[in-house]
Amino acid sequence: MEWTLTANEPGKVCLMQGNEAIVRGALEAGINFASSYPGSPSSQVLGMLGNVAEERGFYAQWATNEISALQGCMGASFANARAICIMKQNGLLVSADALFCGVQGGVKGGLVLITSDDPDAHSSTNEFDSRNFAPAAEAIMLEPMTMQETKDMIPYAFELSERHHQLVIVRVTTRICHGRGNVVLGELPEKAHPIQAVDEWDRMNCVCYEHQATLNKLKAVQEEFENCPFNTYQGPEKAEKLIITSGTGKLYAKEAISRLGVAENVGLLALGTLWPLPEKTITSYMKEAKEVLVLEEVDPYLMTQVEAIAGRYGLNIKFSDRGTNVGELSPDEVLKAISALTGAAIPEKRVKQNEQGEKEPLIRRELTFCAGCPHRATFYLLKKALRSEKIPGISIGDIGCYFMAGGEAGFFGYQVCNAMGSGINVAQGLGQLTSYGLNQKVVTMCGDSTFFHTVMPGLLNASYHNSDMLMIVLDNSATAMTGFQPHPGTGITAMGKTVEPMSIEAICLAMGCSVTIADPFDIENTQQILLDLLQQKGLKVLIMKQPCATLKSKQGGPKKTVRVNPDKCLGDGCGCDKFCSRVWGCPGNSWDFENGKAVIDPVSCVGCGVCAKLCPAGAIEVEGGAEE
Amino acid sequence: MLSTFALDTQVIKKGLCTGCGACQGMCPYWGSKDGRTICYFDCERHDGRCQAFCPSMPTDYKALREKFFDPASVIPEMGPFKALYVVRAADASIREGGAQHGGTVTALLEFAMKNGFMDAAVLGGEDEKGNPAGVFATTVEEVRKASGSKFKIPPTLATLNKALAADEYQKIGVVATPCKAKAVYKMKSKPLPERDNNADNIGLVIGLFCGWGLEWDGLTELSAKTTGGEKVSHSDILPSKYHSMEFTTTSGTKSVDLDEVLPLVRDVCKTCDDMTCEFADLSVGGARTGDGWDVDKGWNQVIIRSEKGEELFKAALEAGVIEIRKTPEGALEKIKVASANKKEKAKEIS
Repeated sequence: MEWTLTANEPGKVCLMQGNEAIVRGALEAGINFASSYPGSPSSQVLGMLGNVAEERGFYAQWATNEISALQGCMGASFANARAICIMKQNGLLVSADALFCGVQGGVKGGLVLITSDDPDAHSSTNEFDSRNFAPAAEAIMLEPMTMQETKDMIPYAFELSERHHQLVIVRVTTRICHGRGNVVLGELPEKAHPIQAVDEWDRMNCVCYEHQATLNKLKAVQEEFENCPFNTYQGPEKAEKLIITSGTGKLYAKEAISRLGVAENVGLLALGTLWPLPEKTITSYMKEAKEVLVLEEVDPYLMTQVEAIAGRYGLNIKFSDRGTNVGELSPDEVLKAISALTGAAIPEKRVKQNEQGEKEPLIRRELTFCAGCPHRATFYLLKKALRSEKIPGISIGDIGCYFMAGGEAGFFGYQVCNAMGSGINVAQGLGQLTSYGLNQKVVTMCGDSTFFHTVMPGLLNASYHNSDMLMIVLDNSATAMTGFQPHPGTGITAMGKTVEPMSIEAICLAMGCSVTIADPFDIENTQQILLDLLQQKGLKVLIMKQPCATLKSKQGGPKKTVRVNPDKCLGDGCGCDKFCSRVWGCPGNSWDFENGKAVIDPVSCVGCGVCAKLCPAGAIEVEGGAEE
Repeated sequence: MLSTFALDTQVIKKGLCTGCGACQGMCPYWGSKDGRTICYFDCERHDGRCQAFCPSMPTDYKALREKFFDPASVIPEMGPFKALYVVRAADASIREGGAQHGGTVTALLEFAMKNGFMDAAVLGGEDEKGNPAGVFATTVEEVRKASGSKFKIPPTLATLNKALAADEYQKIGVVATPCKAKAVYKMKSKPLPERDNNADNIGLVIGLFCGWGLEWDGLTELSAKTTGGEKVSHSDILPSKYHSMEFTTTSGTKSVDLDEVLPLVRDVCKTCDDMTCEFADLSVGGARTGDGWDVDKGWNQVIIRSEKGEELFKAALEAGVIEIRKTPEGALEKIKVASANKKEKAKEIS
């Protein structure tokens, strides 16, 4: 797809993913600076920008966290650079202080903040609606509804930002980021946006006396939004029944209106400007309406706003919604809601059926670690160590692939998981209580990328106050969850430059922590190390070093062949009871139902050979491959 | 019910686990640390050997006894009985080494291994870090190294289970406290004939008299406190009139009032009704004959319970590796009273 991203062929129609449309929009805006921390669903954006940054003459970086990314963009904007910052919903929360202050400080060069929400939490721990952040921060917010709009909205947002000297948030959701649609390419600028010297008397300060000026900017933007091409209406001129929506709701509603055949008697107002809302435009449609259906996902953001508008204008309207504030909108749900609004019957649904006339069930995929994942070994060892205590120890989780360890994949390996970088802090609190009557060991963990992201200040706090706890750094040399983006430990940058990698060990030592390094695949020794560390008082750091299995298979090389010797395998007999496939649970360990024996799935197996070390009957054999 | 769940709820959580290790060493699900039995992960079997071998799961011990011993030989207070001897190792280096009292167990084991009565032995000893652990001895030297009472009960039968599974030795002798001996005879009875873990490889069982075992953590603390942290080479509970426990280190022997020790007695030991280790080929304890501690402390008393036990004992005596002194009158009666006492106390508790 990269050929399309930098192809200067205005008018050409390309099938693009939403994330690609964001990239293309940024290139058409002539950005100078891009910074991001990866997070689904917008993880890919900066990776693609990084790949073309040199060619297009701008700077791109993976920042260590979202607030660093946003404040970096503010610095660039101060020299008139056009800066784009990309983060997921949780990242917006991480950068909240910068955002709220940044709005009062204003911008010089255009600053566009992309926040990607994940309704239904497909790739997140929680669903969160960033729309509420716009009124709270008094910031400008836009939201596209199609891939074309996504691409077009970015240059528009930069111009808007520069016209009003204010940063602009563009909110997207998983369906936009990961969906695909046709996009007509615009023109790529010949040169990037001009950088300007910062004048001695230029200011971007967050000070209270700027508050009124900030609100005045919003007023001006609202005026502009009354005529914004991203707000659309379709339907009769005076619709008694009105649908108000934004984002994904628009396409679902269009489809439902067409399927129900109610285009003549229902109006559809789709809003691309989420804050400030074009109040006059909305009122002009609402005052004709008796009933208004608001279609949106997660929080009742639009509902609250349009109800307030109706109240201000004294409109007597019956409002309805989808009936829940949880999860994504679905076409079915929208169909039902519009059917209820209009009274039109729902046409029969076409369902894919198999030969027996039954609905084909989808195979349930379990949430688990990849075959050969080092985290599986770590959590296996940790579970055993915690259970070895007189009163089992307390385990606190964090955010990364190892989030899955809270379930079966990690032997229900932790009990608390809050936000990124939280594990160290939650554990630090618990660890202080061991001198006040808490007679349990406290353990927490974080990945290498998370370590750099938000764990470091917490670790410093824990070290300074000598919290009685064990911190395990799951160092798999990758930001694996989001797709192997470079982080400070990897020695490479978003633009492909090789740099000196940061050493987690050296950082921990500098923070005054005692550090032990172990290999989770060295089952016996590492188990003992864990047991021993738990007996030591004070703050301990254990770095579990073993590269991500996917990273290793990406690198290629001969892999070991793992086999089950069926003569030795105890199967489901006493002494084993399918230990490899049932408890260890690696996707490479499968079960032969016909013969009642364990079997290795050669497609999934990456040849790590850990199951061979654990097999109680010594029935798993490992052959060949490169020496470790 | 899952076997792992049954053991967890009916034995471990009820405080009835003896820490014998009978459930361990056969699968990845059971293990132990510091004398505590731990279920790491649930097994989905309902008929596990762990459950079948556990001495604290409901068992018809009368039927089990009748399977292995002559019912006519049974004395109600102390189980199968053929003879009582006051015995010690003839070799003074055994008695003066780490052995308890007269060093009879060590002498018998060494003799049994040298003369084909056993080809290996499982007994309580220490791991390389000095923690109590089961020891699998295939040489006389290894037996000698493990001699002496521990008072911390290691999961010795985990070691036995592993040795049996390996199927490399066919006459594995076992030195066992009463709880462990019960489990060993449960294993020998093959409750799961299809999965007997090579129980036929279990050889002679040498039982140890036992009053109670102590909590590991507490004992570690107490001995450290008493000895100032020196390594304890030997420890002993003195006869009741002394009311004390002794810890011996290189700098001498220090004693501590029994009142400090008794709170460390494991709960499950208070429910045990077997002082003389009634399931064994022969049982060995410290001599308590009435001749006085100064005499008795260098001697053991041995109850012969089975023909095999008798055979070993007589051969060892004949070979001169053990020696006996006249069994004082009333010695048997003293054991009966003490043993009946333990049974009475156990009944009160359970």
